[in-house]
Amino acid sequence: MPSNPLFERTVTALLAGEVLCEYRHEDLVTYLLVPENQERVADFLSQLSRTLRQTGNKDAWLCAYQDLSVSGAREGVRQQFREVANHLESLVAFLRLVMNVETNDRPIAPGEHLYESQLIEQIAGTPTLEEKLRSLTEKRLFSTKKPDVAGRIRVVMETLVNKGYLVRFGTSGNDYQATGKFSWLYDMMSFIQNHEGIPEDAVDEDNQMRLT
Amino acid sequence: MARIDDAQKTLKVLANHSEAILEAHLTRGNRIPETEDNEKLLDTLKHHRLILSIGDEEPQLKKVLAQFLGHITESDRRRWASQHIDKLWEELLDLFEQYRQAKAKVALADQERLEDEIKEILAGLIEDIRISTETFSAYLNSGFSYITDIDLRIDQNRRVIERAQRLLTLFDSFNILELADQAGNDPFLKRLLVKYLPATLEEGRANLAYALNQLRVLLVRLREDQRLNKLVGSFEAYYERNPGFEPSIDHLDLEGCPKVLNNVAPFHVAAAPDIYDPADDSELIELAATARTINAGTTRDDVEVPSVDSVEFDADGEVIEEPEDPVESTVESLIQFILSGDLGDNEIVASDVLANSGLEIDTATWLATVTAEIDSLAVEEYRAIDVLYQSEPDPLYPDNLYIHDLVLREAHGSG
Repeated sequence: MPSNPLFERTVTALLAGEVLCEYRHEDLVTYLLVPENQERVADFLSQLSRTLRQTGNKDAWLCAYQDLSVSGAREGVRQQFREVANHLESLVAFLRLVMNVETNDRPIAPGEHLYESQLIEQIAGTPTLEEKLRSLTEKRLFSTKKPDVAGRIRVVMETLVNKGYLVRFGTSGNDYQATGKFSWLYDMMSFIQNHEGIPEDAVDEDNQMRLT
Repeated sequence: MARIDDAQKTLKVLANHSEAILEAHLTRGNRIPETEDNEKLLDTLKHHRLILSIGDEEPQLKKVLAQFLGHITESDRRRWASQHIDKLWEELLDLFEQYRQAKAKVALADQERLEDEIKEILAGLIEDIRISTETFSAYLNSGFSYITDIDLRIDQNRRVIERAQRLLTLFDSFNILELADQAGNDPFLKRLLVKYLPATLEEGRANLAYALNQLRVLLVRLREDQRLNKLVGSFEAYYERNPGFEPSIDHLDLEGCPKVLNNVAPFHVAAAPDIYDPADDSELIELAATARTINAGTTRDDVEVPSVDSVEFDADGEVIEEPEDPVESTVESLIQFILSGDLGDNEIVASDVLANSGLEIDTATWLATVTAEIDSLAVEEYRAIDVLYQSEPDPLYPDNLYIHDLVLREAHGSG
């Protein structure tokens, strides 16, 4: 049987724990949209006790264990959870910062664009936002000693690119697009909210701070 | 001249009492209540023949004025388009009846007058159908973004969907058979009711169905936005109330693992070169040729590695506050000295600074600290300092350099 580069890249990325979405892996997601290809990938993964899954809103693909009784599966799940749990506070603070900057009523969604220059301009011109950024970059995930807004923003954005939440687009290297990993993060947050009994909070005026 | 004066006075009256007149037109069905406050207004309007009062009925704006107000308040008419369409249709039905009677009596003058009236009202009806559906397109284009609060935005979206549904029901109430029945065998009515009106209705229905679908999609999206907004708010408030909170699933046995948690640990697919397959020979030879060469017989033990102290980095970066760190303040002073321009064309050697500083740290840590501080400078300041590394290549792997010292000087090309 001839080798298929798309099949190989798709299963390799899925097995490596990547969250596949059209903004980061356009060709792989297009490949998976064909039912026969989906079946082929799922069949292959099932031989490794793994399966193909989609995030809650169906805009990203990922690999899951078919049977958690196999060796190392539970520890793998715990490890992946800890990866989010350890940095969740930082990610929530980032989501709020962007909502405040963009004066949006909702957190960033896959496919949305973030422009470093706009973030710098808005944050540098608003002391409350600058304070939020400073507090954000004191947290472990985004920790930096850079003194200026631009330097701090760059560290935050690069971290999110490395973690797979953002991809660069365009030629400037300073413009970013949110990936489907945010959908996965929201799914995870919904689970944690139910699991830990975190009460639904009334969104107060401060959270909805507007610049205008 | 008198006529112009009268007209100007009438327009001034309309301007002076515009608020009360518009209120009567938009909210009171063109009627003005006879109250003490309105006494002067009613007298003035009566004087200019803009009002009509029959018996005990409340005074009413005259038809010509009402029509004029209807024309200039088109945006409000849009809001109430469905009611307006309904009203026009009722008027039309009445006119059809009159037209038929006039035709039966061969009253040609009346027939002609009624034809004109029917044409005018039907044109208004067609226009209103078009306007009412266009209004929904405007909602879709805006996405209700003019409403800042997401809860209010959802409410408005829901209201607009209800309005669109009502309008669609109204459009459906005009059925072709009924229209054909109204037209009878009259060619004039047939042309209007069986040709023009159904075509307009069909176009309006199609636009409205599309708008309704999009409005429903928008509502679903807004509800999801609202959910995510509350989700982020909940976590934010919880972290504020519970500093250091870290979610955990350590106590779960994961027997029935929730789907959302089920994420695989990375499983890397790696392969070794197939040295037994002759088909790969040429590629493997090429790879081997470009690999780094090491002198035969040379081992790591044979190589004399320069004695350079190693650096221990703080891997976790957990240090938050370190007041009055003498190393940091010395490095800052050094950087400030170079940035201030006092160095001129001279150079400064980092190890000399350490030797004269009285600090008790090893050279490697000192050099790493100086480099890190320079790297963290703002772009302008960073460019203002030239750093020259004094280094020596590793004898075995010459790409690797051992840094012995740093020479610092002011960058004159930085502008």
